[in-house]
Amino acid sequence: MYRAIVATFLVAIATSVVAHEMTPTYPEWYVSHVQGVVKTQMTILNKRHDVEYYEISVTDKKGDPVPFVSQYKIAHVKYLQRLKFDIYINSDDVPRAQYICSRSKLKGEGTATLLSSKICSKIR
Amino acid sequence: MNSVKILTAICLLSGSAIAVEVPITGTVESRCVIQTDTAGIYGNPNAYTLSTAPADGGVLPIVRYDVSLADAYNARITYPTSFSQSPNLNDTVTFTGSVDVSSVGDVAMADYQTDSITYDQTREYALTATGSTWFKVESEATNGGNRAFPSGTYRAVVEAECIAQ
Repeated sequence: MYRAIVATFLVAIATSVVAHEMTPTYPEWYVSHVQGVVKTQMTILNKRHDVEYYEISVTDKKGDPVPFVSQYKIAHVKYLQRLKFDIYINSDDVPRAQYICSRSKLKGEGTATLLSSKICSKIR
Repeated sequence: MNSVKILTAICLLSGSAIAVEVPITGTVESRCVIQTDTAGIYGNPNAYTLSTAPADGGVLPIVRYDVSLADAYNARITYPTSFSQSPNLNDTVTFTGSVDVSSVGDVAMADYQTDSITYDQTREYALTATGSTWFKVESEATNGGNRAFPSGTYRAVVEAECIAQ
């Protein structure tokens, strides 16, 4: 019985803690301390043990980049850590900025095929 | 008599301390979580083919999407078009592949595959129900002129995207 519980626990760990998550799904722009610049805050939760870095981007609806400023363009998020970061854009770019995305940066170790995960939140 | 009163008072005080309510608060917000359920492995059914198909000795990579809000996300999954790691190749490699729903966590997801759209190497699904969906990705690489692949490690990347609607 005890062995079965331990085995179940190990399987649960092995199959569940490999995820990439970014919130909020629908961020909004708020005024910042700089005139003509708006900001929003995002959170990345890294539950992928094979990934430590995430690339941040802001794009329009076609996927073309929109200029932005953040503490991180490549965010270092350790395994099972949560990172909050601010994104600032020019007020003039607000109408065309549609998505804030984070993409996993792969290390390329091991022998299996890799999964590049990308999550995009839609700006409202 | 006094000791009985004191004891009763202590019991009442300790009883009231135990009855203090501890509030628990939480926030549930819509989110999409991409999980690697199974890492894929290329099988080598013949000298010039690498394939993740189980029939070819491979393992299909499986990606799991968890969404907590219906009609909020699209899943886009792209099978590989190149190796991210390989030995020096001696010819042009042709990549083919497919993406299919492997398993669903809710009957409302039964039509995901038929309702999906495909373009280039990408298949896009509208995640219209909450819960978990598993997608399997098949990838096959064929070396040009049926020439044998050089020995070494071959790796490729499956791209899984979750785009808010």
